[in-house]
Amino acid sequence: MIYAVIGLIFGIIGGILTPGFVPKVYAPYFSVALMAGLDTAFGGLRASMEGDYDNVIFLSGFFVNIVLSVFLCYAGIMMDIDFYLIVILVLGMRIFNNLAIIRRLYLKK
Amino acid sequence: MVEVKNKRTKLLIFLVCIILGFMITMQLKSHNQYQNVAMQRAEDLSVRLKEVQADRDKLAKELEEYQAGRISGTAQQAMDELKARAGETEMEGKGIVLTLDDSKQASKAGENKNLYIIHDEDLLRVVNELRAAGAEAISLNGQRLIGISEIRCVGPTVLINERRLAAPFVISAIGNPQTLESALKLRGGVLENFKFWGIKAEVIQSDNVRVPAYKGNRTFEFAKNLTEEKKKETSRAEADKKPAEDNKGAADNKAAAEKDKGPSAVQQETSQGISGGAK
Repeated sequence: MIYAVIGLIFGIIGGILTPGFVPKVYAPYFSVALMAGLDTAFGGLRASMEGDYDNVIFLSGFFVNIVLSVFLCYAGIMMDIDFYLIVILVLGMRIFNNLAIIRRLYLKK
Repeated sequence: MVEVKNKRTKLLIFLVCIILGFMITMQLKSHNQYQNVAMQRAEDLSVRLKEVQADRDKLAKELEEYQAGRISGTAQQAMDELKARAGETEMEGKGIVLTLDDSKQASKAGENKNLYIIHDEDLLRVVNELRAAGAEAISLNGQRLIGISEIRCVGPTVLINERRLAAPFVISAIGNPQTLESALKLRGGVLENFKFWGIKAEVIQSDNVRVPAYKGNRTFEFAKNLTEEKKKETSRAEADKKPAEDNKGAADNKAAAEKDKGPSAVQQETSQGISGGAK
């Protein structure tokens, strides 16, 4: 658990120190990817609390979800449909779900 | 909660969290950046505006210095006079202000509506009359009329000094007010002709008529000043023809004198011709 927090802090510092920013063209892809990453992270946290955490599932989920969400977003822009809204909606719902379960597990203890 | 024992797993979780944190901060940073772009553009523009304004003021000062410093005394006087003659200065003096506006009369059936509005030709006649009556400086709707000014029809407007002007037309002329007004109000003259069609013309005599300076641009693209040498050459060549030319000049003067008597009579004829034709 402590590794996760330290990693997060390192990542934030690295982000602040990195010059430049994401070009506006890639903004929707990036936000969707972030959403997928957050979703997987909360999923992993929940799994670890439930006791069935699997490292391979977590890692594959993290990268595959990011790639898939970015691809969906790209396809949506190509087809002129706001797919990224759907992606964000679904991922947002999953994050809320995971958080609700984490909360309950935490309270049960 | 499962306690992770494997070192490799710990490292991977660590890496994933670094990526996550990095993404979060980048997203926030980018978001702020987008909002700032519009503001930055406005700031950039205002900075540039200030720079350009400073430049302009500096150049204006330089120009003033050059104009004031370089020449002095008689040369300055000569230049001022030439400038005034060329219409480069604002002038004030006795004169008249003539206001012309389109007719409000309803045109009778079958009549040409064009007769009830002011045309470039009407303005030309008025200006010509004023010049004949000795107007020293004339402006039309704030456009100084100089040697190269045109008065030309462009659709519903009139082109003067390459600027489009529309009715009402205000013509300011500096000169002897009495002479100017009577020249305009001559029997059978320009204004009487306007009255027939209901075109409004109002002459006001004033002690301080203001005529603005010519603001346009003029460059000589084709015309060149004659150098002294060339002048001598041509004068030598013309020396032989001189006697003949003198006679010609005298003849021209005579013709001009006859013309001077002429205009009122000629105009009467033409105006009658026009009104008679319209009737």
